Amino acid sequence: MANRTRNLFGQGRAAWTPLVFLAPGVLLYLIIGVGPSLATSVYSFTNATGIRGAPVDWIGFDNYREFLFRGLASRDNLAALQRTLVFSVLVTVIQFSLGLLLAVLLNQKLKGRTFFRTLFFMPVILGVAIQGLMWKLFLLPRGGPMASFLGLFGTEGEFLGGQPGEAFFWVIVVQIWANVGITMVIFLAGMQTISADLYEAARIDGASGWKLFRSITWPQLTPAINTNFLLNIVGSLQAWQLFLVLLGYRPGTQVLGYLVFAEGFGQTSGAVTAGFRQGYAAAASIVLFLLVLVIGLGANKVVAYREERYMG
Amino acid sequence: MRNKRSLAALFAVLALLVAACGDSGGTETTADGGAVTTTEAGGTETTQPAGEPVTLRVLVHQNPPMVEFMEQFNADFQAANPNITVDMSVVEAGDLATVTQTRLTASDVDVIDIFGFSNAAQSYMSDVDPPAWQTLIEAGLLMDITDQPFVANYDEATINDAGSYNGKVYSINLGRVSYSGMFVNKDLLGTVGVEVPTTWTELVAACEAIKAAGNECMTVGGADGWPVFVGAYGLLGANYPDQAALTEGLWTGTIKWNDDKGLELFEKYQIYTQDMLEQGVTGLAHDAAIARYAAGDVAFAPTGVWQAPALEAAAPAFDWTYVPFPGSDNADDNQYLFGKYDQGWAIAADTPNKDAAVAYLTAFSEPANYQAFVNAVGFIPTQPTATLDSKLGEAVAPYLANYRVGFEQFWVAPKGVGQWANGSQAASWFAPFNEWTDAKALADQAQADLQAGLDAG
Repeated sequence: MANRTRNLFGQGRAAWTPLVFLAPGVLLYLIIGVGPSLATSVYSFTNATGIRGAPVDWIGFDNYREFLFRGLASRDNLAALQRTLVFSVLVTVIQFSLGLLLAVLLNQKLKGRTFFRTLFFMPVILGVAIQGLMWKLFLLPRGGPMASFLGLFGTEGEFLGGQPGEAFFWVIVVQIWANVGITMVIFLAGMQTISADLYEAARIDGASGWKLFRSITWPQLTPAINTNFLLNIVGSLQAWQLFLVLLGYRPGTQVLGYLVFAEGFGQTSGAVTAGFRQGYAAAASIVLFLLVLVIGLGANKVVAYREERYMG
Repeated sequence: MRNKRSLAALFAVLALLVAACGDSGGTETTADGGAVTTTEAGGTETTQPAGEPVTLRVLVHQNPPMVEFMEQFNADFQAANPNITVDMSVVEAGDLATVTQTRLTASDVDVIDIFGFSNAAQSYMSDVDPPAWQTLIEAGLLMDITDQPFVANYDEATINDAGSYNGKVYSINLGRVSYSGMFVNKDLLGTVGVEVPTTWTELVAACEAIKAAGNECMTVGGADGWPVFVGAYGLLGANYPDQAALTEGLWTGTIKWNDDKGLELFEKYQIYTQDMLEQGVTGLAHDAAIARYAAGDVAFAPTGVWQAPALEAAAPAFDWTYVPFPGSDNADDNQYLFGKYDQGWAIAADTPNKDAAVAYLTAFSEPANYQAFVNAVGFIPTQPTATLDSKLGEAVAPYLANYRVGFEQFWVAPKGVGQWANGSQAASWFAPFNEWTDAKALADQAQADLQAGLDAG
């Protein structure tokens, strides 16, 4: 007797049913996701300005050569790439740790925990413009709340308008403040899935505090940890909006994502007539994509290892 | 059988979705003599006769006195043209170019605010990109308004210098501004016993005396970045009165940022940034800076004349004047006002509301309306019949014969330059605004960054 694999949806034409139902979603993804990405990669080999009606010529790898090797602009571009990595590492480590700590604290039966959960999550829904405005006011160097607070200790700062290092630090602070809520919520959701029986059994065996966290919470949180790990890394590598809102175009502060925006929309020089170079910006975005890809693949390997180890 | 019905239902849904999201008419809209004809996807034409409701989309940049004027002008225009509704959008000046490009590309705007045409490639420049306005014209996105009657209301020099390309007119420029001068608090100077400085040494001494008396020397909107270096454009101009020649010299190598004269300039930039500007300007926005200045305890505000209306509104009794920033110890070098052609109007080439857009600019260009605009914003007029009848006009009148276009309007950076190449912005690179604390080191770096681009070309 022939051994035929039985399709859940039937035989013949009926077997196409799942594909037909998947088609709209796949089509949408191709049009909105893959299509623009492919177009960007093609654009990166042209001198496209992005202005309708302007000629677009194929220039091969000229944009990449200029971005990576031409004059001292390449120095600045590679410095932006370096800054992107520093930003990503710091934001990922701090946001991840803080989100986990908040989740552990707010998973306890504490009075007011719903209020605090809401409080920590609220920045996530504010949007970049509001986030930026709030912090610009908070960090006014004369008379602002932070300046007044530091003044009590006899110190002062220029904050966002100060030297690149200081301004960069504050963008990291705002980035973490704006997104730690989502990290916390993902961890909290993961904690809800951990069976209370595991903790009870461990307590009977004499475990408490750190031992409970290390032996039960941490391994059981693997899916949430992996999700947050990937989201934090990829999100921080691509972050640029807060740099636009908080700093604008200032030498020594840009990350790669912001450089892509600035080059593509003529915001690099402070002159209002700077041309748009979207072909060049596309090349920069491909460099950023490759960076995210390499780091993302590495992060994925870590995630896969952890899942193998803790989930079996 | 059930699967077939499911498939049929699914295809029906997909077909509906495609119909709804697809070509929403493939509309083609033309305007002719005020009537608007729209062609739907199936070929059906509908024509709206003149007088049908029109929404005129206007884009301007943020300049509080100008925006206030435009709101009143729009109200008056709508009253005179009941079928036209003006939908005005306001964006920050730094975002104007971006929003202009995207809205023109999307055919989502009719009348745009565009700065005077500048930064064109010169014969001594190589491998440079054209400025944005040139790309917009060559892409066919700006309307040729050469034959529009309202163009004749503006002086010929303005039309040629700030709104024309290849012999055709694409923009009417509404006024020149000076950005190399400084507002002077005459009351405060009188109290401290200091004269209005006419040389660099006098300015330094005046600042010391003013600060010793418990006041502040200068303020700018440092939070926005650009006001810091724009405030120092007078320093640049006093040391290099011919800014077109400065641009060419930097490109050809006859002038360097770190030659003796350049180094002297950078040392003055450092004194301006670190000794003259008051503490805390890193957090002061440009629009708020003039209100800070109007508080009365700051002697000088190096900024553009566009701040004059806001200053008068904030402190009508404030006794001030506007003079060139004395950046040189030769008083004769301090007689120039440098600036640019500021705001202008242009019309989107594919606007479906051409008649309304032309009517809008015609109304704006009427001498009475234009005079009211100039009075409101403090621009140096570009209509020959208009005058600057204001305190600002009185202040700048002695210097108008020495008005010159500034370096910012000539400079095009070679590709491959480093981020420190544009030395005209160097004032904003000294601490506390950025990392530099040594004028010579910065001048050397600026020249190295510029040279890298010149050598890579």
